Amino acid sequence: MTESDVHTLTGPFVLDALPADERARFEQHLTECAFCTTEVAELREAAVRLATQVAAPPPPALKADVMSAIEQIRQVPPLVPGGRNELARRRLGRRSVLALAAAALAVATTGGIAIDQYRDKQAAVQANERVAAVLAEPDARTVHGPVNGGGQATVVVSARADRAVVVLRDLPELPADRTWQLWLIDPNRTAHSVGLAGGDLTTVVNGSTGKIAFGLTIEPDGGSPAPTLPAAAMIPMT
Amino acid sequence: MPDPFPLPWPAGSSTRPGEVSDGDLLLRTARGDRAAFSTLYDRVAPWVFGLVRRVLRNPAQSEEVTQEVMLDVWRTATRYDAARGSAQSWILTIAHRRAVDRVRSEQAAADRTELVGARSAEVDFDQVADTVTTRLEVEQVRRCLDTLTDLQRESIQLAYYGGYTYPEVAQRLDAKLPTIKARMRDGLIRLRDCLGTSKG
Repeated sequence: MTESDVHTLTGPFVLDALPADERARFEQHLTECAFCTTEVAELREAAVRLATQVAAPPPPALKADVMSAIEQIRQVPPLVPGGRNELARRRLGRRSVLALAAAALAVATTGGIAIDQYRDKQAAVQANERVAAVLAEPDARTVHGPVNGGGQATVVVSARADRAVVVLRDLPELPADRTWQLWLIDPNRTAHSVGLAGGDLTTVVNGSTGKIAFGLTIEPDGGSPAPTLPAAAMIPMT
Repeated sequence: MPDPFPLPWPAGSSTRPGEVSDGDLLLRTARGDRAAFSTLYDRVAPWVFGLVRRVLRNPAQSEEVTQEVMLDVWRTATRYDAARGSAQSWILTIAHRRAVDRVRSEQAAADRTELVGARSAEVDFDQVADTVTTRLEVEQVRRCLDTLTDLQRESIQLAYYGGYTYPEVAQRLDAKLPTIKARMRDGLIRLRDCLGTSKG
């Protein structure tokens, strides 16, 4: 199975649509692919909302049966903190951050703009280290949303670091005299420019703490002092 | 100038202000709190039963599986980890998996000849909407489903509501296997972005 094959299995897995043998193989794969684990968790939150479309109250007598049955049922012991399972989980959590960092770095080093920007190898190493440092913060949180016209914006924000990693992917091509501009919006809804981008990129922006949203706009070459609306993306960070 | 930044805030959870969240109820259940479990049952049983019945079609089997699911929730609540997902997601994952396992093990597939489309997936508002979920949430999910392509939506609905495997879905929709796998994933990604359910 190729890497991309494995990756698309998150969809059928979340829908319980894998045949038994493939499900077992994918569950095995999940134990070592933190990136897939994260995606499965996210897609699951979306999939279960489908249940709202078919909700129906069960017969009232069922509750009495359940409540009486639990009197006879022992709860399984919790996972002991520091126990083997807990340690495995922590290792997974750690790997999850590293996998995310690796994915972001892959984008950083393969994106055309990033290569231009970081042609100097030393600069590239430093940029990668800055990305990894934010991703490694224990309070790093991920928010993301679609970009109008196509593509995705992902923001990993850490209040501790007062920084955020912005990953822009699959953005549509802009005319030569236009540029993407990145903004952080404060609670007064004032937009602060945090950089320009010619296309897909991964970058670290400063001053994310206390900001309520990330914005992406299309501006004339060189950028604008204030955002041109409507924004291509506006992603709440709180 | 009018408000320059109409922020599209993500839809709130179904928890109203001041109300104990499903996650808190599940954590209390994990400590053996029967009253918390009783409240949790009232909140989630309609989702569980509705979903299981949708997949299984057979009312008696659906009651049986719903009971198994709720007993599973009681038994394994100690293993729920809030850091890895919502209580709703955890419980409905158990429910869907059990329903699908049952339908496949019993070859009940033969009975599942009804159309599993958008029309048949509509909830009976009069019966449940105002008691177990908000009309708003039902409508939001439906609106988001409408933003999917036909193939994305049909693939996801056949799998989730019909309990079909992706090869079965591919056959029914006369599409290639890799196409169906990809549409299930990108359809769910679009749904996730539309619903604002990304983990954060």
